[in-house]
Amino acid sequence: MTTVAQPVFTREGAREAKSESQFQIVMRRFRRHRLAMISLVLVTLIFILSLLAPVIAPFERDAIDISSPARPAPPGTRSADGRVHYLGIDHLGRDLYTRVLYAARVSMSIAILVVLISETFGALLGAIAGYYGGWTDTIISRVIEFMLTIPTLPLLLIISAILLRRDVILPLPDFLNRFLSALLLAPPREAQKVVVLVLVLVIFGWLGAARLMRGMALSLSKQDFVEALRAAGASDARIIFRHIVPNGLAPILVNASLALGGVIVTESALSFLGLGVQDPTPTWGNMLSTSQSYMFQHPWLPLVPGVFLVIVSIGFNFIGDGLRDALDPRLKR
Amino acid sequence: MTNYLIRRIIQMAIVVFLAALFTYFLFNISPGGPLAGIQQQQRRLTREDLARLRAQYDLDFYWPFRFTRWLIGVPNGPIVIGGREIFSNVPVGCYLPRDQQVVIRDGERVVIPAGCDRYVYLRDIPELHPAVKSSRGILRGDFGRSTVVRAGRPVWDELMSRLPATLELMITATLLSFAFGIPIGIYSAVKQYSRFDYFFTTMSFIGSAMPTFFFGLLLILIFSVMPNLLQDQFPWLPKLPPGARVSVRPYEVASWLPRVQPGTPLDRFLHLIMPVGVLTFFYMATWSRFVRSSMLEVMRQDYVRTARAKGLTEKVVIVKHALRNALIPFVTVAVLTIPGFFSGAIITETVFAWPGMGRLYYDALTRSDWPIALAFIFITAVLTVIATLLGDILYTVVDPRIKYT
Repeated sequence: MTTVAQPVFTREGAREAKSESQFQIVMRRFRRHRLAMISLVLVTLIFILSLLAPVIAPFERDAIDISSPARPAPPGTRSADGRVHYLGIDHLGRDLYTRVLYAARVSMSIAILVVLISETFGALLGAIAGYYGGWTDTIISRVIEFMLTIPTLPLLLIISAILLRRDVILPLPDFLNRFLSALLLAPPREAQKVVVLVLVLVIFGWLGAARLMRGMALSLSKQDFVEALRAAGASDARIIFRHIVPNGLAPILVNASLALGGVIVTESALSFLGLGVQDPTPTWGNMLSTSQSYMFQHPWLPLVPGVFLVIVSIGFNFIGDGLRDALDPRLKR
Repeated sequence: MTNYLIRRIIQMAIVVFLAALFTYFLFNISPGGPLAGIQQQQRRLTREDLARLRAQYDLDFYWPFRFTRWLIGVPNGPIVIGGREIFSNVPVGCYLPRDQQVVIRDGERVVIPAGCDRYVYLRDIPELHPAVKSSRGILRGDFGRSTVVRAGRPVWDELMSRLPATLELMITATLLSFAFGIPIGIYSAVKQYSRFDYFFTTMSFIGSAMPTFFFGLLLILIFSVMPNLLQDQFPWLPKLPPGARVSVRPYEVASWLPRVQPGTPLDRFLHLIMPVGVLTFFYMATWSRFVRSSMLEVMRQDYVRTARAKGLTEKVVIVKHALRNALIPFVTVAVLTIPGFFSGAIITETVFAWPGMGRLYYDALTRSDWPIALAFIFITAVLTVIATLLGDILYTVVDPRIKYT
């Protein structure tokens, strides 16, 4: 979005109008959405916790506490050396607080990677389709329509079932492998599996952004300023990247925020069904899945990952809603 | 309209064909399948035994031919035109593959296919694949036989035995979500920015963002686990059965109620409450938001203002002028729930061990029962395109302004 100061004519007077940039207007509107603000605070908090996971986690990710006679054990159980398991331990004797933090890291990384890749890809494809029109548009639109008709979840399940069961090592460059395993705090082999899941989620993730951007590009490319740019000799690439994409960025931003919540839910659903990230790499989904077998005796088990999952998925949705209200120029409240 | 219909039907056929081909290809490249690991389990299996087993599952065909056999049941024998066999020397598969052990760089031994000792020709098919055991093809109504989940049972029978459970669940949840969602949506739109509107907009936001599996687990915690754990302090707390569709033995719901006998309507009802609750909450969120936004859209229109200006009462304006128009998009979108009646809810059925279609599909996928999974995908795809077309046609019926050419 362009952050060029624009004159805003409000009844209050010109003093405020001079100093307020577009960005400030959006921020002021966003702050009014109380639920969005609360969500932003909570999601940021979980995000920071996940970043600090290796520092603040009291135990090793996969360390098994053999001193505890009961597994799973309730919150507050102490290990042999006196350290407290704040949220209890799971059926194998691993510290749940530690695992939930690492899981936050994995789930958040997957969501951010998927949304980043698919929104960029979708927006570019949509901009190209809308700008060029003709057969380029026809092909891209038909592909999108086709992908939207087929039921997503069954197909996602097939693809991840196949790809994850297949022990292929993706031909990723070494630095990327190292970056990913540092990001996820997991050994490279586990990181590879996560990459597979990211790719699977991207397959269906780009459709929304592409449709939005195509619509924007379609109307923008017929406007006079684009005509003027063409007359001035601007190249297609310059028009698309410098003028069409920035102008259509607001709805993409809203879409991305909603998509973050959606991806987190989809990823945990796949992991919950055993077709996503597998134990020992923790995610909220597979933690919930294992807790299901023990919940009748240990009811707090599903609540630990579940509360985090719900806060983040609902939080991203409220943030998206707040952004939509803030960025909508028709709303003058 | 006729031209439009013909064009749409051709497009639908192409979409279904592509979806079928794509999923078939995916299953084909996937490891596992009915014969995975059979050589490790049965050491005495000779090459001929293995070849016979492979032929039983059509695995001796090359995959494009396997696909056409699955789809329309051909090739199923020699093709004779005018007394002469055509394509008689084109191999369509490999009956006895020649395997070769190769040592790869880590010192690991892998078996890779290297050539073929006996090819399958068209004239061999009747002998290797007797008609009684072969499928006549999915387009002719033969969905083949299950390989793992219910080994040997026709897929169609298995699907039909699961369908009632899914229909019961999905139709109840969908109707309930309409019954609650539509009035809530209308009222929220009429009283926009009221306390009612804020409350239900927030609720529907939570409903659509809440992961269904966690919501399901939460309900089990509240209504099955907690009453069980607190039985000594609060024996009057009612507890619901946490899964399945009917019970096996009589059970107690609450101390002040008689024991529930398995298979009775009450038993079925108690099992239905939680899964239906989860799905209703989820769908209701979607529908109330949908109706609210389309109602708000209509309330801004000029003809609603005109109706008000004429001096009509608010009730008449809302019910006769706004609501009827607001429900136009709703009708066309509501048709899209039809495929769901067949395919069920994979996650909810898994959480509550509900013996429906979604659960069957999940079992088929995780246990590599490809015929069941393929039939499920195929039927869902067909129903989806039909529902989409039906929605578009209904659009012209309820809104005469729309015309397709």
